[in-house]
This record gives sequence, structure tokens and C-alpha cells, in this order.
Amino acid sequence: MVRILLRFAEDLVEQPITSQIILELKVPINIITAHVNSKGGEILAEIPDNTLDKTVKAFRDKGVDVSIPKLVEVDDEECFSCGTCVSLCPVEAILVDKDGSVIFNREKCVGSTCSVCVDACPTRAIKSVKQLGTVAKAAAKRRA
Amino acid sequence: MLPIPNQNTRTVEDINAKIKKGDAQVLTAEEMKRLVESSGIEVAFKEVDVVTTGTFGAMCSSGAIINTGHSDPPIKIDEAWINDVPICHPGAAVDLYIGATAMSETTPFEYGGGHVIEDLVNGKEVDLKATAYGTDCYPRTQLRTQLTKDDLNQFYLLNFRNCYQRYNCAINSRDETIYTYMGKLLPHRRNATFSGAGELNPLMNDPDFETIGIGTRIFLGGAQGYVIGEGTQHEAKSQNGTLMVRGDAKKMNSEFLKGAGLTKYGTSLYVGIGIPIPILNLGLAKKTAIRDEAIYTSVVDYGVPRRDRPKLQKVNYKELKSGSIVVEDKRVRVSSLSSLKVARKIACKLKEWIQNSEFSLTLPVERLPLDSVFKPMRETEGTPFVAGVMHAAVTCRESESIRDIASRIVTRSVNHIIVVDNQGKIAGIVTSWDITRAMAEDVKALADVVSRRVVTTKPDEPLEIASKRMAKHNINALPVIDNEGKVLGIVTSEDVSKLLGR
Repeated sequence: MVRILLRFAEDLVEQPITSQIILELKVPINIITAHVNSKGGEILAEIPDNTLDKTVKAFRDKGVDVSIPKLVEVDDEECFSCGTCVSLCPVEAILVDKDGSVIFNREKCVGSTCSVCVDACPTRAIKSVKQLGTVAKAAAKRRA
Repeated sequence: MLPIPNQNTRTVEDINAKIKKGDAQVLTAEEMKRLVESSGIEVAFKEVDVVTTGTFGAMCSSGAIINTGHSDPPIKIDEAWINDVPICHPGAAVDLYIGATAMSETTPFEYGGGHVIEDLVNGKEVDLKATAYGTDCYPRTQLRTQLTKDDLNQFYLLNFRNCYQRYNCAINSRDETIYTYMGKLLPHRRNATFSGAGELNPLMNDPDFETIGIGTRIFLGGAQGYVIGEGTQHEAKSQNGTLMVRGDAKKMNSEFLKGAGLTKYGTSLYVGIGIPIPILNLGLAKKTAIRDEAIYTSVVDYGVPRRDRPKLQKVNYKELKSGSIVVEDKRVRVSSLSSLKVARKIACKLKEWIQNSEFSLTLPVERLPLDSVFKPMRETEGTPFVAGVMHAAVTCRESESIRDIASRIVTRSVNHIIVVDNQGKIAGIVTSWDITRAMAEDVKALADVVSRRVVTTKPDEPLEIASKRMAKHNINALPVIDNEGKVLGIVTSEDVSKLLGR
């Protein structure tokens, strides 16, 4: 499975685009998180690897901005593996290695849609990639 | 003739002689435990000269004393800031103390005294601003300059409470996330945090303070430092020992000394401490064999904003390090605030120093107190609690008619009616406004106007906190409930303003 991040500009939010693509392509799209605000919406979804190209193309054809999500960024210089973030993660994507190192599992992480760990880090080593902010940019690009 | 060595003891002098020759046997505390388990105490005592320990945690009662040298004309600093962080001026003209928890006036919670210390340690230039009232001998009233650690006469880490032997495991029973010095605690006990290295902790490996005392040379922030006394709040007999330490910060390394920002709590300093335990006798070999499962602490509810927070249960460090604990039949994920990884690194580094003859051991010049007691504050003026101002609540059942509630509001002259179930437990709240609107809009059922998500308080909550909660939610009353949700009374903003005079 591969994760894709779908960003819907304001004017696309009300259209049933995801359902249409599921029906048209018969791709089992697993929605992990979904958010809507005044600037648009975003969906973090999981799809089978071999459907990646056609699914991404289908979303892009309908004006949706598609990216492979980079979910959290961890500054390895600043992180000293205290572990504060570990018990906060709702999807258990942060683990402690045998030697005490804190490991981020980017496959499991739901990223900026969650961000519960970000303000708990005592050295501010975790940054969630702001995703909704780029929706407006994506929309502008599409209109151009 | 050579003296016959005593088979049951060795001295620090014996060990130092071996260190000098480069053949002292040194193990980290974790290695020592494994050796004792595989070969027994006798063998471990015979083979091991020194056990090294380590811890790396947020230690708020830390700071650094600096001397900047005199300006021309000289100044007797009255107020000072480094990188916008207010600095104490406890002594004469240019001696300043950078407290780890002092926060930047421009970026509070993100940058503070701990970060200033880290920046100085890293050789960065910092910005000093100072003001003074001016005297005949110190005429200057204003000063601004850029400094690095090389410009300072002295730069000493001087921490008055470090290296807690063990610490609470924190949990939050409230229905909102709280931000504490134990980190971010999710509501409804969804996570727990702890601090301390457990079996690797220095004081846990010498719990009777046989070898750790005033003058003990230690690893401090990546350099050599000293124990200068017991830390504040030290209580050895309950295994809550602490240390006061000092070390030359100019020689320290930010890998083992790191500024930290704890959201909505403040700034702090992560301090790395490692202490060598000389294995002078069989007893010390045995003590350094202590395992995580024998080190207990309490799960404490930080959701209760009181000094004596409820202790929910005991838990040991093995359970804490496993990643989850069971609290009242529920699995709760638990993680550490202190870094075990860096604690291990410290124990290894100290071992290396000793093996390379770069570090020799000291005997304490004075023992630390074993009988001191950590007392609570004597308060001559108490603070009011909810219990002191709450009064009986007017209640109703959800089955009652809106008209009945309206007349109860009038006869009892109240604005809030608490809806209770058959057991007297809180089920909702209605205000005179809800009822007025219901009558105006001809709503028939009380159920349609009841607010179900009720913000509440408890009798033992400080009134100030209850009052803040009312302000936060923009409401004028809080039902007072017990732990089971039974309604005990109500406290209103009127009660609060009468008492607190605002």
C-alpha cells in the first residue's frame, strides 16, 4: 500500500470526487484522515501500489492536488530520544528502539492531520509539514 | 614485606592506583547487573573496581553563574537580560545567575535560561543588556554588549537540585489535555509519562550515600564536575535523594546539556550526570546490582491541581520502560521525558574516562544527610477552595416540564438548575436563559434544551482554578460533583467575586 495526500481547493470540496474515482477505477481507496476547513480540504488515503499511477492521474485530472505525504520532519540534530512523544501518538507510529533511540514510523504516521507530538517535543525537533496552507497555492496553479 | 590485601574491601586509593596504571576494572551499571546475574555477587565484587551510572533529564533547578568582568565606567547591574531572558543578579556588580527556567520576554516557553546556557556552551555570542541605578563607585546606568564564553571570567554550572533518585509517573484524569513539567498529558488517562533512568540512575546505585557526598567528582554536562551537597528537597530515607552540583561550563558539551521548552510550562535544562561508584565492599556490589523491577514509584494524577495529588498505584521502572502500564484494568501507554539513550552514553563515556586514566575517584569530604525531611510550606494565609464557597444546588429531572422548571427558577431565585438522574448523578444543566428561550420558541420537552456537556468542578479544587475554568468556557456557574459524578452543590461566579473581590 502507498499513501497519497489529496488536497481539494475550496471549490472542489463539495464534489464527490473520491467516490467517483473509486467507482470509475475500482480502486480500493482507504481514507485514513479527512479534514475540511474554510480554505479547502485534505484527505490522507492509502491505495495499492500498482494503482498509484492511474489513481494519481485520475485525481489530478479532476483538479485535485496530489502528493506523496511527508508527514513529520524530525531534526536528528535536536532529537536526543527522550521519548516524550512516544506515548502521545494515537497510531503508535513512534517507537523506542532496543538501544533507547526514538524511531518514527512514517508509514503509520498520519502527519499534520494529527500533530499531537509536535508541541510536546522539548527541543522542538518535530515539525509537521503544513499541508492545508498549500491548498490555495495548488488552486491558483490549477486556475493559471 | 607487602601488606596482605583485605579480601573483603578495597579503598579508593587502591582503585586510583589501578586507574593510574590503566588497569582498573570498570563496568557500566547495566553491565554490572548482568555480571551479578550471571556470576554472582562475590565474583562481581572481586572483578569490578568501579561501576558507572548516568542520567539525562530535564532538571529545572539548574543554572549557571557567570562573571562578565567590569565595564568602563563600571556598572553595578540592577537588572539584566541575556538574549531577552531576565537574569538574576544575586551578588555584587557583575556576577549574574542564569536560571534555566527564566523565560525570554520576546519568545517565552520557546527560549529561556537553559537555552542561553546551551548557546554559551556552544561558543555562540549572546546579547547582554543591563541597567543600574548608578552609584558614585559604579556610575554606569546602561549597558549593552555581545559576549561568548571566552569573554567570561567564570562560567560555572551551579545546580541546586539535580539527579532525582526516582520520580513520579504522571497521568491525567481530567477531561482536557494538560501541559505540565511532566510533559503533555492527554485527557482520560490516555497516556502517562515518567522520568529517570531507573537502574542506571546514580543515586539508585548508592542509595545509602556511602560513596556519593560532598566533593565527589562526577561527570557533569560532558565535563568533570563535583557534588557540592545534597540538593534541595533531598529526602534520602524515602529514596527521594537529590544533589547539588557544580562544574566548569566552559568545558561542557551541549550533547549533555540542552535547553528545553515545555509547552505551556516553561523552559528548562536537560542535564547529563554520571557518577562513578567505587565498589569498596560486597555491600556496594550488591547495591549496584539493583534492577528496574525493584525500583518503585507512584502513578500520580496531575489532573488534580493540588500539592498532594492522588497516588493511583505503585509501578516499577521495568514496567515504565516497557512502554505501557495497566492503570485500573486499562492499558495506558507510558513514555519517558528523560533520555535513556543519553544516560547510557554518559555511563559509557565515564567508563571510558576512567579506563583511559582521565578521571580518578574521590572520597566524599562529608556525607550527605540521610535523615532530612522534605516539608511542605508553612502557609499563614490559606487559599480558598471550592468546598468553602459552594452551596446547595437546585436540581431537576429530565422528565419534568419546562413550566415547572420555570417556576422553580423563580421561587428559588437561581439561574442554573442541574439535571440529575436517579442516582443523583449529573445528567445536564439548564439555565434561566435556556428556559426563557424554550418558552419563547414553544419547545415542549426539557430534553431539547438541556446542555449535556457540563463543565464541572470538585470540592477540593482551588477556587482560582474553578474561576479560570468559568472564564475559559464563558459560563457563570459550575456544578460541584464527586468522583462518581454525584452532584454535591454548585459554585457561581457571584460566589467567587464575593470572596476574591473581583
